[in-house]
Amino acid sequence: MPMPSALSFELLGKCSVTKARAATLHLPHGPVPLPIFMPVATQASLKGLTPEQLEKQGCRLCLNNTYHLGLKPGQATLDAIGGAHRFQSWPHNLLTDGDSFQMVSLLKLAQVTEEGVRFLSPHDGSPMLLTPEHSISLQNSIGSDIMMQLDDVIVTTSPDLARMKEAMERSVRWLDRCIQAHKYPERQNLFCIIQGGLDLDLRRECTAEMVARDTPGIAIGGLSGGEAKDEYCKVVDTCTGLLPEKKPRYVMGVGYPEDLVVSVALGADMFDCVWPTRTARFGNAITSRGVLNLRNAVYSTDFGPIEEGCQCTCCRPPEDGGLGITRAYVYHTTAKETAGAHLLTMHNVHYQLNLMRLVREAILEDRYPAFLRSFFAKLYDDKSKYPEWAVGALKGVGVDLLSD
Amino acid sequence: MSQGRPTPEVSQVPREMVDFEVLKTTGARAPRLGRFTLGGRKPILTPAFLGNTSRGVIPHMSPDNFGRYAGSNGVYVALEDFVEKHPEKTPPVFEYNVPEPLRRFAALPQDTPLVLGARRTPPIPTPATHTNTAISLLTSVGYKSVSSEYYAAAARKLRPDVVVGMADIPFGQATISIKRKDKMSDRTEAWLRHLVTTRNTMAVAPGEPRFDIFAPILPIERDLQSWYLEHLLDDMVDSISGLAIYDAFLLDDLPDALHHLPRLSLHVPASPHELLRQVSLGMDLLTVPFISSATDAGIAFDFTFPPPETPKSSVRQTLGIDMWHAEHARAVTPLSKGCQCYACTKHHRAYIQHLLSAKEMLGWFLIQVHNHAVVESFFTSLRTSIDAGTFDAHVATFEAYYEPQLPEKTGQAPRARGYHFRSEEHAKKEKKNPKRWNGELGGKGKAVLEGAHGQQPEKKQEMMHVIDDEALIDLVGIEHGAEAVHVEDLKIEDDVKG
Ligand SMILES: [Zn+2]
Ligand SMILES: [Zn+2]
Repeated sequence: MPMPSALSFELLGKCSVTKARAATLHLPHGPVPLPIFMPVATQASLKGLTPEQLEKQGCRLCLNNTYHLGLKPGQATLDAIGGAHRFQSWPHNLLTDGDSFQMVSLLKLAQVTEEGVRFLSPHDGSPMLLTPEHSISLQNSIGSDIMMQLDDVIVTTSPDLARMKEAMERSVRWLDRCIQAHKYPERQNLFCIIQGGLDLDLRRECTAEMVARDTPGIAIGGLSGGEAKDEYCKVVDTCTGLLPEKKPRYVMGVGYPEDLVVSVALGADMFDCVWPTRTARFGNAITSRGVLNLRNAVYSTDFGPIEEGCQCTCCRPPEDGGLGITRAYVYHTTAKETAGAHLLTMHNVHYQLNLMRLVREAILEDRYPAFLRSFFAKLYDDKSKYPEWAVGALKGVGVDLLSD
Repeated sequence: MSQGRPTPEVSQVPREMVDFEVLKTTGARAPRLGRFTLGGRKPILTPAFLGNTSRGVIPHMSPDNFGRYAGSNGVYVALEDFVEKHPEKTPPVFEYNVPEPLRRFAALPQDTPLVLGARRTPPIPTPATHTNTAISLLTSVGYKSVSSEYYAAAARKLRPDVVVGMADIPFGQATISIKRKDKMSDRTEAWLRHLVTTRNTMAVAPGEPRFDIFAPILPIERDLQSWYLEHLLDDMVDSISGLAIYDAFLLDDLPDALHHLPRLSLHVPASPHELLRQVSLGMDLLTVPFISSATDAGIAFDFTFPPPETPKSSVRQTLGIDMWHAEHARAVTPLSKGCQCYACTKHHRAYIQHLLSAKEMLGWFLIQVHNHAVVESFFTSLRTSIDAGTFDAHVATFEAYYEPQLPEKTGQAPRARGYHFRSEEHAKKEKKNPKRWNGELGGKGKAVLEGAHGQQPEKKQEMMHVIDDEALIDLVGIEHGAEAVHVEDLKIEDDVKG
């Protein structure tokens, strides 16, 4: 019996060279364009931005963290209030991730058993157990449009292949328990998470098992943990090659602009990362020519916008209804006023969302290879500086960045 | 923001001088109603308050949110927030070559009246003494002496609407000798004269506004500043558009010939009661630093003027709610019943309590919006009350109904930022952002989080393992370079100097 689904995936175009796809994903709280970058509002709030400010940067799908919301405000409160959308007054879509679990697994005292993850509460040291059933129950209370299974994650760089295999197989069994426990499949979409570290055979095996369970969407997990980038690309490429065309593919924890455009070429559709918003607090602005640290004194008298032509609330000139914020003003406020962080956060979120909008347009017009070439040409002033992994990965899908 | 205040039309005429019209008064030393108009800006019905900025923003409000939720007020901006000491150079904003550099730099709305003063309000005392030509400012990177020439040049360059004349006030000094008071009067006179000359001789294009000047009234007895006041009346009164008053009680002694001028209060009030007292003495424009300090402490105002009509209770009501209290965790109610602000109409106490306890910046923003809305409607209603002749009676019921002070602060303020470090705290060796939980888990050793992998980290090698995520910091003790992690990485430059 196919699993009920609360989404529909409308494939709109495919790149004739790479594996890139453009689609519209219809979710319970409205349609979202794919490929997509999803900002991370870990604790039901995005670094000081109001829901309206986030909305104005174009966001229609953002993340909350299951485990954090489970601790604060807690399940009882979420139930009483009627879920996380109401709790944070966010009228658009929410995805809840469980990568908190990964964090928990990094605690030396955490212990993974077949039942779940045992650990001591970071609040008071009391023993706690996180099971697939508990994770799903929490996500049902949260009411997220996309919920993620609880998985057993090992750092990809772990040399222990036996433990890696055990974790992969356990993740499959836990998916079954998650599906069983899921109370509202007709209004919340449960995504599986493919595990298997950097071992491509394990990944293939896991992909086959996960696909057989027919969840509405599929995530590739356990990556962006410091593995070599070419290994990362091989895993993404291998998995997407085995995935059904008509389902969204989500690569977890990825957010550097060059990683996004390469991963899209490898056939991935959805991404999330805390980096763009976290780095804003250090004064880092993401631009098409690279990351600028606006806390550097050279920007103190730079009265240009954060990025020329950017249409975010900050960069747009007042004549166009924006604030006309200058780099000098970001320098003036960053790390001194919380509002300084709000400004850069808006810009960085807008940059990421706009990048994906441009990617989508290029795919729809079947000029994604040309887009990739101009993207890298802007980011690096010389071809010799292009990262090898990106050149290699794109060559694998038919785009030679180094040719003219 | 909160509805209610009738907003008169923005005047289209180019600005020359402030137009201040007293609409109603019952004599000296009494509350009065007025309309304060700057050409091209939104007129302000007085008594009213100005938003108190820090580095050009109302704390926690990005400029877009200020325009959206609080922009009906004018703002007070301090020059010391824009002057840097290291490196010794021209303040960056002076090099911004646009028609209204300060307004444009801080992205203030075009119709918001902008008042510039030398010092923040309240100012933090500086150890350096003033000289005949200069006062001492406290910038984000240390003390800097600023001459009256420099100040006048800054005013000319930055083009705020109103400039408050530089006053020689030895802030923080408990007792001031008669001799010193004489000097205060002499210097303030000379500095104001210089500012007036600079303004009057400024070359401007036809129709281009200069700036208006508010003359400071020193917080000393009238006799001791009589020399200054005489000169003010003799040959400067036509060049000034208002008064900046550092001690509201001196309104008693104000020369009659200055009564027509709008009065800006830089007398720091501690409570709404003190605002009422200043208004009752005839103040027109007030600054209310306690709004932001209450917000920082997580206190949401809960008072109206006049107070609600309820059966007499023997207990006085609190002026604000401490949003740190867990009792709000499930309350799907607004901060104040009936409040029309963004925080109260769009969000609820449960969320705001969560944001504070999760140390999410949005929590302080929402309380800040609300607190500004409460003070805004406080002023709206007191104007109505003055108009109806019920002000004194309402003040009496207000004082009987509410506690005399704002509630005690229990919660943590947001992470300390630049200006919080400046005052006496420098002397103390305490950690500014003390660590909360120490990571001990049932005595079994520290829980350690070595970088939140599974999310791409910072690219720079030295930042790789730096976690700057309140959520994570709260959950686990982070060992990897604990100092760096403790957001000491967001170094405030004056720290470096120790
Ligand atoms: Zn921008
Ligand atoms: Zn309110």
